[in-house]
Amino acid sequence: MSAPKGPLDYEETVNHLERDQLVSGRRVHLPAARLGGATQVGLWALRIFVLVVSVMVIYTFIAQLGS
Amino acid sequence: MEPRTPPSEIVGPELSADGADELPGLGFTPEDTVRSHDRSRVDDARDSGRRWYLIWLLIGPGILAMLGENDGPSMISYATTGATYHFGFFLPFIVVTFLIAIVCQEMCMRVGAVTHRGYGELVIQRYGRLWGWFAAGDLLFTNLVTLVAEFVAIRIGLGFFHIGAGIAAALGVVLVLFTLSGGRYWRWERISLGLALFNGLFLVAAIVSQPDWGSVGHAMVTFSPFPGGSFNTLLLLVASTIGATVTPWMIFFQQSASADKGLTPRDLHHGRLDTAIGGVLGAVFGCGALIVGAALTSHSAGFSVDGLPRALRSASGGLVGTLFALGLIEAGAVAILTISASSGYAVSEAIGRSSSFNSSPGSARTFYAANVVVAAIAAGVILIPGAPLVSIALNANVLATVLLPVTLVFMLMLANDRELMGRWVNGRALNLLSVAIIVFISVCGSAYGIDSFLQTVHLIGS
Repeated sequence: MSAPKGPLDYEETVNHLERDQLVSGRRVHLPAARLGGATQVGLWALRIFVLVVSVMVIYTFIAQLGS
Repeated sequence: MEPRTPPSEIVGPELSADGADELPGLGFTPEDTVRSHDRSRVDDARDSGRRWYLIWLLIGPGILAMLGENDGPSMISYATTGATYHFGFFLPFIVVTFLIAIVCQEMCMRVGAVTHRGYGELVIQRYGRLWGWFAAGDLLFTNLVTLVAEFVAIRIGLGFFHIGAGIAAALGVVLVLFTLSGGRYWRWERISLGLALFNGLFLVAAIVSQPDWGSVGHAMVTFSPFPGGSFNTLLLLVASTIGATVTPWMIFFQQSASADKGLTPRDLHHGRLDTAIGGVLGAVFGCGALIVGAALTSHSAGFSVDGLPRALRSASGGLVGTLFALGLIEAGAVAILTISASSGYAVSEAIGRSSSFNSSPGSARTFYAANVVVAAIAAGVILIPGAPLVSIALNANVLATVLLPVTLVFMLMLANDRELMGRWVNGRALNLLSVAIIVFISVCGSAYGIDSFLQTVHLIGS
């Protein structure tokens, strides 16, 4: 695909892009998702679990380097 | 053709919080005109029925994600697994992991094409800054570690030709700067795709090494022989093989790249094709690396990871050693490009800045700076005398596996978010498959982490 030879005009630009594809459309902030209590608890549990396992892996890696 | 967006609905000039300068009085930016130009080609190809040209235009993010993940440490990991266990369980297991990757990557491609937004941006806006920043933090950490491993792989490859670490570091950074210089996503993607094709060197090396194809076929069909050895070593290999195929950066990269490329819901079929082609090529080339490494099973002299290409030269001939060394250079180089890009997308999305290769460096300073800075830091690390580079390279995949479940859970939530995805949400079967994949990856990653930790603190024997 060659580089654009010149600036496209307004109509041509909006013809080929969807509204939310334009930079102005992508700037629109999306509303926060509504998460149920169980989902929130599940996400926190997952996050804590991954943090704990990550610490274990990093500790093991450092300990192996030392030995 | 009817305009997809009524001009009256275009948001007027407001800008500059994200640094993307609008064209005066028009309500759109230079990034819009570049992307619109690319889309005009896609629309023309679709309207005129040029199917192959349309495929050519729309492939890219999927192949790059898959071949980018066939990176230096992954290929080293596959080859050392082949050297340790020969053909057997791990050969078809590579294929299984790429099937898993196709399922995960299809979801993020679909979310990117439908929402036109990157993964980090969506997580922050839908699930809050805490989760978004955690995801971006996960990614930056694992990306930095992985990028170090990529430079190590390039150094090992160049070392075969008696070229030092300084050149390896400089080449990687110069490559990132060169590909960023065009100010267009299309240019960056095509250069990266051109380089990624050389991942096929691992398949060529496998063919040249003249393996016993009957044994290869038997292993593929039977998943046997099953590897012996310690339980911990087996867990390490399973975790690192998964980490060599499905990683957080791939999720960030393919979703953001799909949005940056301008994919829309009309392109989902081609996006799936792109992802599947990437998965098939990745699996074939990955198996190639394992098959090449299997020649070292009976290599009496033994070998270190640093000397892998030289050991292959001794075992299978100079051509195999040369092809493997060149393959490592390619694998590291492509991964440096794609992983740096995912870092750029993640950082700029996390702080709400412009994140597009279609923006100029002046309009997307954070995006371009993050691309270069992460590569430069990793390049600097390999120049530190005595740094445990090979150990870092081998542990990078495992760490990526441990951190992956969080990324996948949010990916699954986004793909099921009906407010975002409308009728393109996941189906029930895909959700069941995705949950099974997340549980499988979580169990493998955490089992290795916990088992190794307990051994290290002497709570269990090895």
